[in-house]
Amino acid sequence: MQWYKRAYQYWNRPGRCAYLFLAPSLILLFLFNILPLVMAFVLSLFDANLTLSQMTFVRLGNFAEAFADSRFLGSLRVTAVLTVVELPVQVFGAMIVAALVSRNTRRNKLLRSVYFLPVICSATAIGVMWKMILHSNIGLITYLLRTMGLGKINFLNTPGLTIYVVAFISIWRSFGISVIIYVTAIQQIDTAMYEAAELDGAGRIRQFVSITVPSIRPTFWYILLTRFAGSLQIFDIIYTTTNGGPNFTTESTVSYIYSRAFTSGARMGYACAMSVLLFAIIMLATLVLYRKMNKEDA
Amino acid sequence: MKRILCLVLVAVMSIACVAGAAAEESSPITIQFWNSFTGADGDLLVELVDRFNAENKWGITIEMDISSGFTEQLSSALAANEGPALVLFSTAFRFQYADYLKDVSDIFEKTGLNRDDFIPSYLDYCSEGDALYLVPFQIVGYYMMWNKDLFTEAGLDPETPPQNWDEWLQYAQALTNEDKNVYGSGISYNYAYQIAHIIQRFGGLAVTSEDGAWKANFAGNEGYAEFLNMYKEMIDAGYNPIDADTDPTFTAGQLGMTVTGPWTTGALDSNGINYGIALVPEGMAGPMNSVEVIGFAITNVVSEEEQLAAYRFIEWWNTEDAEGNSPALTWSLENGFPSYAFSVQEKDAYKSNEKLVVTSSADPSLPSDFIVDSSFAGTNEILNDVILPLMSSITFEDISVEDALANAQATADEIVARYN
Repeated sequence: MQWYKRAYQYWNRPGRCAYLFLAPSLILLFLFNILPLVMAFVLSLFDANLTLSQMTFVRLGNFAEAFADSRFLGSLRVTAVLTVVELPVQVFGAMIVAALVSRNTRRNKLLRSVYFLPVICSATAIGVMWKMILHSNIGLITYLLRTMGLGKINFLNTPGLTIYVVAFISIWRSFGISVIIYVTAIQQIDTAMYEAAELDGAGRIRQFVSITVPSIRPTFWYILLTRFAGSLQIFDIIYTTTNGGPNFTTESTVSYIYSRAFTSGARMGYACAMSVLLFAIIMLATLVLYRKMNKEDA
Repeated sequence: MKRILCLVLVAVMSIACVAGAAAEESSPITIQFWNSFTGADGDLLVELVDRFNAENKWGITIEMDISSGFTEQLSSALAANEGPALVLFSTAFRFQYADYLKDVSDIFEKTGLNRDDFIPSYLDYCSEGDALYLVPFQIVGYYMMWNKDLFTEAGLDPETPPQNWDEWLQYAQALTNEDKNVYGSGISYNYAYQIAHIIQRFGGLAVTSEDGAWKANFAGNEGYAEFLNMYKEMIDAGYNPIDADTDPTFTAGQLGMTVTGPWTTGALDSNGINYGIALVPEGMAGPMNSVEVIGFAITNVVSEEEQLAAYRFIEWWNTEDAEGNSPALTWSLENGFPSYAFSVQEKDAYKSNEKLVVTSSADPSLPSDFIVDSSFAGTNEILNDVILPLMSSITFEDISVEDALANAQATADEIVARYN
């Protein structure tokens, strides 16, 4: 029997051919997720340059340096603030908006499209657009506020304020995706439940609290977990609007990691060590949330 | 008869050799060319590369990849011993990729390029000893630009920009008009290149060599202190906006004076701004011609054939056609960057271009180092980790100039120590 016939016979069984179908995804997952992850762990133990042509084993030296690096610690604070501001809006705000636009009327379809529009725009375009709109001297919004007698507001160059502006832009950019996912979940709820509630005299808010929210709990957890991890990895909006300024008050952890790896010093080993620390934080927080989710489901 | 036969054989062999060489010359080859020219200048680069691909007689095809993620892309490729034959980047990056760059000093022997046609200080910038790592492509300097209409409105002579920094401060005050939202001076707190070009005119280079070791020059630098005091005074008085990037305000006609590069002129022209351009005023550190040189570099992951093909492209870039035009001349005329070649600067089209006349007016024999000694490998760290935090602290924190400089010195010392 020829080899390909033998191979065909071997793989042509349900238990085996499943692996063949899985193989492309597994190979890609290994090459582009697992391998880089392992490499980042390994590199974090080295003082390595950008092209990895010079590598010195420093054990945990990079981690020790990170914990003593005020900019890294500051970037963790910035990331935490951005997450705390963004997460409730993405998780609860989007849920409320989704409930309001979930019916398939023409107006709601238009509103859903409007909410979704920023999602399909590139982060660079969004960053440049908001940078111009909010420019301290020639920005449209700045100009309008000034003509209304509200004075000069320097949205992108005021420590203490700019971080909330960045959070707003980030929310504006990805709010639509949260809304659409919620809408899809809400539309799956059996309408008979609402009809029964209405017969029992339940108002809109009561229906939302007692029917909608419990019914979309898995979606709620999905949004919470993905937005949480996404907020901790915020980078592109910061890169294109403030680049971490003013005075590093909007420098997120990923922004700082990027600057260490590619912009200044090209210290790939140190950047990897900080990436590993960020990974550990995200992993830990996600595990806590995941366990809580499983507990509730049980 | 024998002699005739010998002559015929020699002739046949010679023809065969020439034919073989010609065949070798014209055997098609494709090389990769990576850079980060994503702006409008990238369109011109594409056009010129396409022209080379169409007209070169050696069968060379340049496949160009312009990417904003150039640094990440290049470092990943080189780490895997892959990558392009030809790259374009700043001399500041040559240390970063030092292990992967070829010494290209033999380009003057292997091509028709004339070393003497290149302005020596710019070639020096790209060299380490006798080794040449980049062939100049573009000279990036910063220049003073001023809005002539705003000068007229403020009662200043629109044809006479400030000649020194005391005048800059005076003019900034005169030009500022709060009612019209006009600022006199445009110095950013977060535009590292702009700040560096200015601050070094006050206090010289931030890192110099002393007794064979690198030394940072922030603490006690009177020139730097003077600049920071002037900047703080302008910020406090409202003559200078607190802004990360002052170019948009200038191109919108709301800024009296700024220091920026030739790339801004496109937006100024299209916005109809009536502006002037001049060399950045001298400061305490005396005359200088600080520039950044962008150059062609060849990576060591290529074969000799690919290297020769890259050399030929660089040669073509600098070669005049029958009308006396060259891609290098076109590049300067279109983008406003001064040329690195004497022959280009002598062209009538070049000499009749007002912007190029100004941008080329700096004496190229003056020190051209940009912010640090050109042999110091940590330029980007000094710019991003010392100068930007220094400016930010002056702008946003309640800190004295002396303390800010002392902090900068401490950070710079750590950086310098890594290279000593």
